[in-house]
Amino acid sequence: MELLNLKLLEVCSRCGACYHICPSCLNLPDYDPRAVIKDILAGRHEKWLNHKSIWQCLECHYCVEICFQHYGFENAMTAMRTLSAKKGITPVQVKRGWDMFIKTSRLGEPMAPARKKLNLPEAAKSGIEDFKKMVKVYQERKDRKEK
Amino acid sequence: MKDFTIFWGCTIQTRFPFIEKSTRMVLEGFNLPYRDLDGFTCCPEKSLVNNVDHGLWVLTAARNIALIDKAKVDLVSPCTGCVSNLATVNSELHLSGKEKDKVNSILAEVGLKFKGENKLRHLVPFFHDEVGIPAIKNKIIKPFNGMRIAIHYGCHMIRPSHALKNDDPLEPKKFDNLIRAMGAESVQHMTKLMCCGQGLDRVDQHENALHFARIKLKELKSLNVDAMALCCPSCYLQFDNNQFLMEKEGEKFGIPILYFTELLGLAMGYKPGELGLDSHRIEAVNFLEKWERLNEELSRTMVLNKELEEGFGIAQP
Repeated sequence: MELLNLKLLEVCSRCGACYHICPSCLNLPDYDPRAVIKDILAGRHEKWLNHKSIWQCLECHYCVEICFQHYGFENAMTAMRTLSAKKGITPVQVKRGWDMFIKTSRLGEPMAPARKKLNLPEAAKSGIEDFKKMVKVYQERKDRKEK
Repeated sequence: MKDFTIFWGCTIQTRFPFIEKSTRMVLEGFNLPYRDLDGFTCCPEKSLVNNVDHGLWVLTAARNIALIDKAKVDLVSPCTGCVSNLATVNSELHLSGKEKDKVNSILAEVGLKFKGENKLRHLVPFFHDEVGIPAIKNKIIKPFNGMRIAIHYGCHMIRPSHALKNDDPLEPKKFDNLIRAMGAESVQHMTKLMCCGQGLDRVDQHENALHFARIKLKELKSLNVDAMALCCPSCYLQFDNNQFLMEKEGEKFGIPILYFTELLGLAMGYKPGELGLDSHRIEAVNFLEKWERLNEELSRTMVLNKELEEGFGIAQP
């Protein structure tokens, strides 16, 4: 996983410019990444791992664009989600999507009857065989490294 | 123009094949050199895959890019999410030789190599920059003059800008230019760049997703727009499907949601039925009727203009 840059995050905790353009901050009443960042810096990030807030960052990258460090809230929220997923605490749909991705290499298969009705050509083949082979090599190397 | 492939992505082919239909029709209408390529997988979707395993997210995207490297073609996608993910990984690997080597050592096992030498673009900037406004105007036979259309850019069409370099990330213009080239008014509104909020539906927060959709739809209703135009299947899901769900519960908005190539296809003279517009959950009937009526008026004006032109012809020596 990508590590957090705590130095940038420290500056971030004292700025918060992106709070005022973040769509979730503006529209979801209890959402405030500033609180999460404060807790990360104080070593209290654990309490957020099971919290719905960390999944409310929409990854719209607005904060990154406006941030003078090119960092933004997003990195902190992604780190929290990654830690949360590592512990197996994810929203049901994230788990379901991940499983489908690993199993089929895609998030759904082309709709054959609708394609026919619209007179669309047969969909191109997916790269599932190579994908599976690639994931296997990746996983083996990752496991070896973690050992 | 260099040959290119279309990266359809999972959502369009799984849920909205009519977006594929209108895209193909428009590409063929312009006689553009595109072809389908076997072997793509999910781009992969960032919020899902990257959150769980960054390494696999990078590797999977790199593999998709390696396929176009091998075929020596550019990539164009009608999905903003796909382009944004692929471009982000492309940029990450160009910045880190170490990571690139690691990725390539795994890709070698499946006979591929990431080079990242070809362009990755979304359909909207592709049409704007590569096809160009004058060529588009030339193809338009049934314009949207007099129609009020609100554009929703979609976050990942323009951000992250360091990777995409598509348009200004905070004040984009290209989609506006295209809509205006089709004759419509691009209605400016407060929530123009607000994230659609569909991501909330993917993390078990359906009510919050509806809340996001409602904010934008309410504003557009108050502005009396004829339609919303967008260029992302995820945003489409949010505004067409979730609008439909809210309407079923009694909240009426009545804002038809049209994908970029559907509008372009209509303006080029294709019939709504052949473009698959009848597959939308929010019907575009009122929109289409108004457009037909305005076009009839417009053609009467054109006849008048033609007569005036002929008049000038006689008067001139």
